Amino acid sequence: MIETRQAPATQPLLRVEHLSTTFDMGNVSVRAVTDVSFDLYPGRVLGIVGESGSGKSVTARSVMRMLRSPGQVREGQVLLDGEDLLAIPEREMQAIRGKKIAMVFQDPQAALNPVMRVGDQIAEALLVHGTSAKEARKRAKALLAQVGIPDVERTIDQFPHEFSGGMRQRVVIAIALANNPTLLIADEPTTALDVTIQAQILRLLAQLRLELGISIIMITHDMGVVAELCDDLVVMYGGRVVEKGPVRDVFASPRHPYTAALLKAVPRLDAKGDEALIAIPGSPPVPLRLPSGCAFHPRCSHAIDKCFNDTPPLSSMGDRRESACWVAAAGGNVEPRPTDEFGRHRRQASGAAPTLRLDNVRTNVASSGGLFSKTPPVYAVDGISLEVFPGETLGLVGESGCGKSTLSRTIMGINDVSEGRIEVSGTDVTSMDLAARNLVAKTIQYVFQDPFASLNPRRTIGQSILEALEVVGVTGAEADNRVVALLIRVGLSEDYVSRYPYELSGGQRQRVGIARALAANPKILICDEPVSALDVSIQAQIISLLEELRDELGLGYLFIAHDLSVVRHISDRVAVMYLGRIVEVGTAEEVYGNPQHPYTVALLSSTPEPKPDQSTEHRVILTGDMPSPARPPSGCRFRTRCPIGPAFRSDREICNRQSPELAATASGQKAACHFAGEASLARG
Amino acid sequence: MTDTAPPNRQKARLNPVLSRYLQAFVMPKGQIGLGLVILLTALALLAPVLFPGGYDMQTRDSLLPASWAHPFGTDELGRDIFVRSIYGLRTDLALAATAVPLSMIIGTFLGLSGALSPRLGSLVQRALDIIVGFPGLILAICVVLVVGAGWTALLVAIVIGGLPGFGRLARATFLSQQHREYVVAARTLGVSNWKIMVRHILPNAIDPIIVQGAVFVVAAVFTEAALSIVGLGLQPPEPSLGILLNVGMRYITMAPFYILGPTLILVLLALAFSLLADALNSTVNRK
Repeated sequence: MIETRQAPATQPLLRVEHLSTTFDMGNVSVRAVTDVSFDLYPGRVLGIVGESGSGKSVTARSVMRMLRSPGQVREGQVLLDGEDLLAIPEREMQAIRGKKIAMVFQDPQAALNPVMRVGDQIAEALLVHGTSAKEARKRAKALLAQVGIPDVERTIDQFPHEFSGGMRQRVVIAIALANNPTLLIADEPTTALDVTIQAQILRLLAQLRLELGISIIMITHDMGVVAELCDDLVVMYGGRVVEKGPVRDVFASPRHPYTAALLKAVPRLDAKGDEALIAIPGSPPVPLRLPSGCAFHPRCSHAIDKCFNDTPPLSSMGDRRESACWVAAAGGNVEPRPTDEFGRHRRQASGAAPTLRLDNVRTNVASSGGLFSKTPPVYAVDGISLEVFPGETLGLVGESGCGKSTLSRTIMGINDVSEGRIEVSGTDVTSMDLAARNLVAKTIQYVFQDPFASLNPRRTIGQSILEALEVVGVTGAEADNRVVALLIRVGLSEDYVSRYPYELSGGQRQRVGIARALAANPKILICDEPVSALDVSIQAQIISLLEELRDELGLGYLFIAHDLSVVRHISDRVAVMYLGRIVEVGTAEEVYGNPQHPYTVALLSSTPEPKPDQSTEHRVILTGDMPSPARPPSGCRFRTRCPIGPAFRSDREICNRQSPELAATASGQKAACHFAGEASLARG
Repeated sequence: MTDTAPPNRQKARLNPVLSRYLQAFVMPKGQIGLGLVILLTALALLAPVLFPGGYDMQTRDSLLPASWAHPFGTDELGRDIFVRSIYGLRTDLALAATAVPLSMIIGTFLGLSGALSPRLGSLVQRALDIIVGFPGLILAICVVLVVGAGWTALLVAIVIGGLPGFGRLARATFLSQQHREYVVAARTLGVSNWKIMVRHILPNAIDPIIVQGAVFVVAAVFTEAALSIVGLGLQPPEPSLGILLNVGMRYITMAPFYILGPTLILVLLALAFSLLADALNSTVNRK
């Protein structure tokens, strides 16, 4: 943790008072933000946390006066150094935007102009505020170096597509910093990035705050990011601030049931694995239909009669703490009560035969090239062997581009197997002929990441599930009954049969996706990032549902995710994948408790945890990005980024020459590293 | 059940697709287009009732100028050009009403054939490329040479001429849809290629295809006119708008209404379907 968390200076840099923003749509006026107040002191980082529809982004846009029509600030003041930004003319506001307040957006791909060189884009930010062209270029170079872009002389004239995602986000930050702003508003700046890259960006922001004394408003949904970077915290729910206070105090003793529940709903990296997640029931409210009284009351396990009708005001709870809760104000307990608890029964491999077995599978993803040219093969999956047993979850972890989705698609027969062997229930299905395809479809089903995209928007929920039943030959009245049974099984009801996907919330849609996957009575579900598109409070519900189904139906899961804490929570065994290969595999306890491969160590160490007191100094943060599978490095594939490899220790020639085999290590699991066990977690 | 459902149900649950298309007729251009189509179709359908004499009834005077009795005048044989234009319109509408849906269905199927087999799909596209490579008129002449001048030749020429347009639109939808997650989801469930094509891809292709259909009606009528002008379409005395123009060209100085009359009908027809296509296009794309 960075040691600037002392008591704030006397004068706030930014003071937002009673801000209310509405969206007028025809005859209805939607209140997106209601009576939001907070202070930001110089040199500090304020986290604004909330789920979709909580009003956190609208708050930021209101401060910047960049609301999209028909959004309108109804009331309130935004005082920057004592000057009300809402009262000054637009022309003056333009001068302040970029110069005093700068913004960093979630998707660096969308924030950069693809046909402009990055140097020119940074210079542009300077030119509009009246710097000379020559001066601007000089400053652009300095900025790129400051945000950690290597080889500035060359990269300054490159286009955004020549940069990786993390590098692009650095460029966006460089543009934001161009005019030495005093305030940086970052709207989910790391959500689109991988954990190892996220760790790089978070470290960069922390460092900039120290070096430049800049104040940051960090908008995020991730409690881990808050714990790592922020000093103060504002929790928003249903367009209102429900709790605020110093991060450390809020995490130690939340004074609002929502904050408390949110902290409990996120799986922890250091959890033993048998602790139940306490899911928050229901889903976040839509601003158009906010519940009466306290907006959280329908989901709150502590709600009393007063909560149904009267909106609790934000009231002081001791030293710089405020909370808007009737129960907390009366001194009541706000820790969530475990309502429906799904205990975790860790099972040993039962000695049964594996339902799914992969033996040295390689998948070529290069396009066929056409008649006259031969493209060299690109193996996104390069020699993977794994087994999934009934009733067991195999977690598969890796960053984007490591080939985990290609692997799952190869198992489903969407991509062809180039080499190796796939066995389903003991039968070789590598050829994926008609009989093999039928066997795969009957045995293995797929739960998709984005439940909205994987349901046909033109077909009702009933039709979508019926289609899956039709494939396995269930038709007529029996099929209709099965549809209802499946919906009830995943926690929905008969009413949903005739609804369309757009009428459902994200969590409900994912339940439908699971129901559809269960239609064929499969033995194995491949869950491809099943919760990463969902709000934090919904994730726990879906994870609990998946665990319950696994234990009741004896399903085997191949659970693919980038979120290490979620994988830890649900998995019996874990495999870590890097650039088409498995680098470490073992039980969850082994891999998380005592990682042997340096990549696993780096992944674990990069994951921000919701513990504000954790030291970030001894983190293993990887440099650079994953190489392209089209040109994998010789020898060990991880050597270009390895903290214990030849990049840092020149005597380690062997890593350049020889690819390490997956071999048993001292602590039980298998790891593919010449120096397994050398890198270790420095947990503080 | 733990999630709370947003309780907004769609009002027009019965037929949301149809109601969306019907919205096209709320806007003025859609109304005018529809009105013109109804008017022209009614005239064409009722021609034998309105003009029981048929298109061959002669008067004594040839090449009369426009008058109340003969709005477009009379032709070289003393036949009323207005009556002949209406009967010509009847021919053209009948042709369009047969050829356009035929071209639409075959073209769409060809375009989506990639869903059944990727090889078939690209093969079909190359075949459509060859059709595009021929100038429309040359293509039509080739058809006439094979089939022989007449109604069938026109039908075949128009159907073939329309295939690339429909085929490519359908192909574009197929290409964008085949990687959509719900199509992939259907494939992983083991749904047959044929069902994926009909259920998941076709409904997305229909919107642009219908708009293209309305546009293509105009093209079909012009193809008929073009072929008839060069004498390869229908043969006199059977009237069509193209034949009227073909013959009328010779009398353009003596009786300008010989040309102007059928042209007016042709333009109205084109206008009607263009407006309709336009209105459909804007409702379909508004969503």
